[in-house]
Amino acid sequence: MQLHLDNFTKRFDGTAVIENLDLTVNDGEMLALLGPSGCGKSTTLLSIAGIYRADGGRILFGDRDVSNLPSQRRNVGVVFQNYALYPHMSVEENIAFPLTVGKKRPSAEEVTRRVRETAELVHIEELMARKPAQLSGGQQQRVALARAIVRRPDVLLLDEPLANLDAKLRLEMRSEIRRIQLETGITAILVTHDQVEAMSMCDRVAIMNKGEILQIDAPTQMYRAPASRFVAGFLGNPPIVFLDGQTGPAGRFEMAEGLSLPLPSRLAGMPEGQPIALGLRPEHYGAGGGASAAGRVVFVEPQGREMLFDVEAAPGIVLRSIQPVRDDVGIGDRVDWPVDTERLLAFDSEGRTL
Amino acid sequence: MVAPAILLLLAFFFTPVMLTGVFAFTDMSTSTGIGRGSYVVTPTTLRRLGDRGLGADDAEAISAASYAVDEAGLAAARDAGTDAAFLADIEERLTGETFETARDFELALRDLPSAPRSPRALKSAADLFGQSLVNHRFETRDELAEALAAHAPDVAEEMREALTDDAYTGAVFTTENFTRLATQPETGRLIANTALYVGATLSLFNVGLGLFLALVLFYMPKPVTGLFSTLWLLPRITPVVLYTIMWKWFTWEDGFLPILAEQLGLPAFNYMKGSVVTAWMTMISLNGFIGASFGLILFSGALRAIPLQQLWASEVDGASRLQQIRRVILPQLRWPILFVTSYQTLSLLSSYEHIWLTTNGGPGRTTTVWALEAFKTALSNYSGNLEYGLGAAMALVLVVVGLALSILYLRLFRFGDLVGRPRIEF
Ligand SMILES: Nc1ncnc2c1ncn2[C@@H]1O[C@H](COP(=O)(O)OP(=O)(O)OP(=O)(O)O)[C@@H](O)[C@H]1O
Ligand SMILES: [Mg+2]
Repeated sequence: MQLHLDNFTKRFDGTAVIENLDLTVNDGEMLALLGPSGCGKSTTLLSIAGIYRADGGRILFGDRDVSNLPSQRRNVGVVFQNYALYPHMSVEENIAFPLTVGKKRPSAEEVTRRVRETAELVHIEELMARKPAQLSGGQQQRVALARAIVRRPDVLLLDEPLANLDAKLRLEMRSEIRRIQLETGITAILVTHDQVEAMSMCDRVAIMNKGEILQIDAPTQMYRAPASRFVAGFLGNPPIVFLDGQTGPAGRFEMAEGLSLPLPSRLAGMPEGQPIALGLRPEHYGAGGGASAAGRVVFVEPQGREMLFDVEAAPGIVLRSIQPVRDDVGIGDRVDWPVDTERLLAFDSEGRTL
Repeated sequence: MVAPAILLLLAFFFTPVMLTGVFAFTDMSTSTGIGRGSYVVTPTTLRRLGDRGLGADDAEAISAASYAVDEAGLAAARDAGTDAAFLADIEERLTGETFETARDFELALRDLPSAPRSPRALKSAADLFGQSLVNHRFETRDELAEALAAHAPDVAEEMREALTDDAYTGAVFTTENFTRLATQPETGRLIANTALYVGATLSLFNVGLGLFLALVLFYMPKPVTGLFSTLWLLPRITPVVLYTIMWKWFTWEDGFLPILAEQLGLPAFNYMKGSVVTAWMTMISLNGFIGASFGLILFSGALRAIPLQQLWASEVDGASRLQQIRRVILPQLRWPILFVTSYQTLSLLSSYEHIWLTTNGGPGRTTTVWALEAFKTALSNYSGNLEYGLGAAMALVLVVVGLALSILYLRLFRFGDLVGRPRIEF
């Protein structure tokens, strides 16, 4: 089912947290709401769930306007960050709960059948008799997911579902949640402030800041062509390096600190003296390209398969390079590595992509 | 640390309980006194022994007076103002003589030269020399036994023994109190009253009202709640006497409630004492309002401990407010509810002061509960005969019931589990 937020506004005690937000999630799509802490991700999610009431605009599930419906009648499934399982109920009772309350309740056999089916889907059949306190974090996570989807909701909402898990489990649950979402085909929104999570799990990512959606795109597209400096800075790990300077003569970019690079060819015609910023991703420095930047290695961070180098190209200007592991370069060494100028991102003084 | 604790426990718990336990097996009362008794044969004593096989002849023999002209008799007669000449005759002629019956003595008196002519005067003079065991106070057992042997030698030895035992006026050990509690029909009513009082106060107010208020407050906007819960504390922090007087004002003929009822065309009378039903309602409410705040505070705390997300989850899952309360909240309040129930059962069982100060168990004895009856029996009643022994027996029953309930509740709480295994491992 398609989900549509139309001019959605939410205030807390008169302060607008979200103003005139428009958002469309396509049927069967999984969309990530990605943004820094306090930008209004949870607020948006809880408003869709009906826990918060919208102060303006409409929320549509398909053609159905649910803006004024209480959460009981919206038919959404929510997975909370702390799972919010009912501690006094067994796993089975927890999953069955949404089927045993509300207006139209299926028969007892139907409940048992659907609970078993859902439990099989999330792989927790053998835990049915346990209480939540007797489960590991990942198992609790699966139960919460099962409870959220057992009623076949129109929309599945996940609020930082992986935040409380350790790194390995997080990796595992990432693909699990995606698998289950694909298998059930439920339209889903994933709230997270982890870009890897957002990019790896979702069809599209919506980047949010201060209550506004800055860009919605498929992960690779967004990574390759961010709409703004904020988006470019938010995506990518290790993060992009911004170089603030201005356009110089002959299609070059110059910094007051002394670093000079050729502009990407698409921007070669820019007039001289314009303040702009370039964005250089670590994988585009030291791996071939039309220009080069020299400097002294100030920091080396081995990451197993790859190595991260910080290179001081000019006083106070540190470029970042990620390369396959190599032993020939150490701290203090002078290097002169190529820059892939065509892949450089450029932004104007307002942060818009050029 | 342990020694002072044990000492305090001994001083403030075991000693009173022990004393109660000891007194419960005596017939101590105002009439026996709490000190050593003496030996007095009374008509009641004789009647009681009659039930145990003392023959009518023997009883007659024991209670029969004999007449002896001796110093004591003469002195008594002189004090009573008997004619001096007559007295002189008696002293001169009859000193040292004894007579078995009043008739013999009166005949002897009539023969004296200065004897009065009227038979009545003669008889009253004779009475002054009469000696009887009955109602005479003997300090020791031996004195009474001796006197009995001399006075009624024909009575069987063992009957005399029994009589001597029975004549003791001090407290004696007996299980009579418990036999009486077990057999008197009043006990049944006391138990029923107590059960009704504890059950209704507990379920309607201490748990029911407390829970209801806690839930209402939980769903109410925050600013209101502080004032509201403070209001419910007032009954508890008001001094007992003041609180009960307020209730008297509230319920008497010209009090708030009856006047209000009159305006509404409902029957208006002294609700506290006017009818059995209103007396019960008054008694249960006035006790209940004190206990409600206890539950309110405990339940409110437990409610706030439930994570908000759980409540959100239940709403998203489709649960209505009522289902949310019944299926998500109440099961998680199980321990506080059990705790309030057990704690308040014990305190209600042993409390009587509010009842004493208001309905005082009335009208009639319809609202008398066990603790109040024990208190009245032992320490405060109008007849003036305080039965310490019976009162102690009733108190002991309360202690035993209380202990049994405590053990039961500790089992229910699985108290051992709670204190046995620390949550944080060292
Ligand atoms: N109940 C509330 N009352 C008042 N302000 C609130 C309330 N809930 C959230 N806010 C404010 O709204 C803003 C957005 O909050 P929200 O919880 O949506 O952030 P978020 O994007 O989920 O952040 P995080 O990643 O830290 O969870 C924050 O500035 C927060 O202070
Ligand atoms: Mg949040």
